[in-house]
Amino acid sequence: MTFWGALLQNGAYQAVANTLFKSQRRQFWILASLPLFWIFFANLGPIVEMFWIGFLDSYPPKVGHEPQFTLANWAAFFQDRVFIIPFFRTLAFSFIFTAITLLITYPVAYFLAKHVSRKNQLLFLLLLLIPFWVGEIVRTYAIMILLGNNGAVNLALKSLGLIDRPIPFMYTGFSLGVGIIYLTALYMLLPLYSALEKLPDNYLEAAADLGAGAWTRFRRITLPLSKEGIASGCTLVFLISTGYYATPVLLGGPRSTVFAETIAGFFHVAGD
Amino acid sequence: MTGEKDTIVHIDNVTKRFGNVVAVDQLDMKIMAGEFVTFLGPSGCGKSTTLRMLGGFENPSEGRIVLDGVDVTSQPPNRRDVNMVFQDYALFPHMTVGQNVSFGLELKGKSRPEIERRMAELLDFLQLSGFRDRTPDQLSGGQRQRVALARALAPDPKLLLLDEPLGALDAKLRGQVQIELKDIQKRTGKTFFFVTHDQEEALTMSDRIVVMNAGRVEQSGTPEDLYFRPESRFVAEFIGETNLINGTVRGVEENAVVLDWNGLSVRGSGHGHRPAAGDNVTASLRLENVTCHNKKPANQNAVEGKVISKLFKGSRTSLDIRVGEREDSIIRAIWTLAMLPKLPMISSGLAGSRNV
Amino acid sequence: MTRNTRILMSVIYWAFIVYLFVPLALMVTMGFKDSKFIGFPIRSWTLDWYAAVIQDTQVLSVFGYSMTIAIATTILSLIIGTWVAVFLGPNQFRGKAIIFALACLPAVIPGIISAIALRIFARLIDIEPGMFAIILGHTVHNVPFVALVVMARLSTQPKSHIEAARDLGADSIVAFFRVTLPYLKPALIGAGIFCMLLSFDDFVRAFFLGGYQPTLPVLIFAKLRSGMSPEINAISTIVLIMTAILGLWAERSMRRLNKGS
Repeated sequence: MTFWGALLQNGAYQAVANTLFKSQRRQFWILASLPLFWIFFANLGPIVEMFWIGFLDSYPPKVGHEPQFTLANWAAFFQDRVFIIPFFRTLAFSFIFTAITLLITYPVAYFLAKHVSRKNQLLFLLLLLIPFWVGEIVRTYAIMILLGNNGAVNLALKSLGLIDRPIPFMYTGFSLGVGIIYLTALYMLLPLYSALEKLPDNYLEAAADLGAGAWTRFRRITLPLSKEGIASGCTLVFLISTGYYATPVLLGGPRSTVFAETIAGFFHVAGD
Repeated sequence: MTGEKDTIVHIDNVTKRFGNVVAVDQLDMKIMAGEFVTFLGPSGCGKSTTLRMLGGFENPSEGRIVLDGVDVTSQPPNRRDVNMVFQDYALFPHMTVGQNVSFGLELKGKSRPEIERRMAELLDFLQLSGFRDRTPDQLSGGQRQRVALARALAPDPKLLLLDEPLGALDAKLRGQVQIELKDIQKRTGKTFFFVTHDQEEALTMSDRIVVMNAGRVEQSGTPEDLYFRPESRFVAEFIGETNLINGTVRGVEENAVVLDWNGLSVRGSGHGHRPAAGDNVTASLRLENVTCHNKKPANQNAVEGKVISKLFKGSRTSLDIRVGEREDSIIRAIWTLAMLPKLPMISSGLAGSRNV
Repeated sequence: MTRNTRILMSVIYWAFIVYLFVPLALMVTMGFKDSKFIGFPIRSWTLDWYAAVIQDTQVLSVFGYSMTIAIATTILSLIIGTWVAVFLGPNQFRGKAIIFALACLPAVIPGIISAIALRIFARLIDIEPGMFAIILGHTVHNVPFVALVVMARLSTQPKSHIEAARDLGADSIVAFFRVTLPYLKPALIGAGIFCMLLSFDDFVRAFFLGGYQPTLPVLIFAKLRSGMSPEINAISTIVLIMTAILGLWAERSMRRLNKGS
């Protein structure tokens, strides 16, 4: 007898299976058990816990002191410049970086989808994935080498005779932007590419046939039909770029402290 | 029909509802052992739902399904001695032909040598021996269909369900497979429950055809019965091509009913029905029963007419003939090319069946 | 499309490719520089940094630690992610959209928020910072990706495959293992490699959830804070090559999957 045959004919297995599959409803809940546990425990649990702690007057719990419910932490957050400035700076940075990423990658995605041969499109996407696979740290380090005072850009500018002294790119909003865009471009490019790739050429030809110029075609046809790609790309890039920690630490300067660094710093003081 | 005349399946007053939609409405039917029975009907008529209830994939809302004397209504598919050939064959893509065919045997807990023996026997029977180690994507459509059949036959089911298994084949192959399938059914003596919307398939293979419409059985009988003696307008129209003649009964004779059709007198067989004079009835006149002559023959059913259009279809030509005075008195006839008559012409024929 | 806009777009396109690859190329190049000082120009070349890395027991043990975490994460993510996909894919029930959104939540929460929330949560459920906490964090993050890939593959499986298995005597469990799981195989390979890479490359979760033992990205970060050195380039280059190979492999298996069978 084969393994599965033996299993199905096994009395103990049959008894268990009969209980498990007694009704459709029972089967559904057995199938749902682990996913629902995981979703509520591991996905939702930490977030809810974090919010809850935001309402406590002391954390971690101190001996002999029952934590009291309070709104003071939230008030402090909105009043204390140490928190609020990096918080809004992070939002502003992420917003700007997202916009710049969109402006850079839109033409790239369009050119890729419409003017590159099918075979080269795949090759390009494959090449694009290589830097993407490499983690945050390694890519950030690569940007440090590029932009450092003795970095490649300064060397190139110097040897062209454009500058005498190196330009201090590093530890500014600029270097941070270059780094963040380097890390997130793919999340913008892929949704844009897949939206534009689906856009049939004959829509544009039809529009041209009806007398629409290049700018009108872009504004009236291409842009509305790639709206979904733009929306999902921007959402992804915005969310992801707010979450980096190592990149701002390594590339950003004192005037570009982001929220991640602030909470991390605060957390290391208070948390442990 | 082979085998003894035992009831193998009893569909006992089964109703199936999906929400408010009644898919199968109080279906009551017995299927005999060794019978090749075909459920025929347009899509959405309930034939596939009936098949899926027999397979255990749907539970009847009301009624019972009795398989070989055992009530299996609430048993899941894996507990029933019923196997199925799926419309898309549903061959497992990651298994070879041999593994596909052994699958059911394996799960039944058969020993390895027994599985081997039965699998080899079936592959041989269906002329698939050379394909044992191929995967389904290396087979042609006809071969896949045979593998699906072998896999379903392997566990030796009491009833074999076939869900439009020829739909995916091209027209040429289909005719050949129909003959093969009928032959396999005869040789194995298995009960085949075949579902199709293709009337030609049904006529070629079946011992019995059940025509369904809107969840109900329209008529059940041999292919000849259904073709020559349709009980309803739906069956007459669905099986073969026909002219439907709406007329009033002028009189009833011993073997014929005489109709008044737009002022013309038409006589036809009543097939046992004896309507009263003055009833409104519909008669069916098969296309091939209309013969055309240049001179009106001395036949009671001969009427004069004029060909208003012809459609060349290769081996035959279909003619639309206007008979009598009225614009809408049009009869369609099938004519072989060599006999194509000159215009004007006279058509005559015998009305096939009727319906009230 | 006028000629000028087309030329402009091709310039942007090529500039973008340069932007993607030049920094990594420079980083790789710098690893061969025969000097402790990071920067251009490079006057002489050496393989010493690589030799040093390969002999560095700390780097090797950190590498093994990261690998262990990646493998454990991958196995857990595949099991949970597939289960979630099998539950959410074919079943219809009230509130499915919400459950689906919650299942995908960790994929879109900013890394730092998720890391800190998990750190606090780990304390609540009594998990010490360290390997298990990191594995938990990485698994939470990876499950949505696995679930999405598996759901996509699952949606292409004809319903009749499972029905055929049931018809031939399999119950739901046997039908899953004998028919569905083999069908999912390419998706699982692709998603598995993707999980390994996400886990191996992750910094922010490993940094906040880790104990004293660093993972490889955390080690590189620590070394970077105390100054740039070609040794870091050598480590990074090795990581780069390994991830690129793994990534291309994953990509290939996913592409085969899309071609379908």
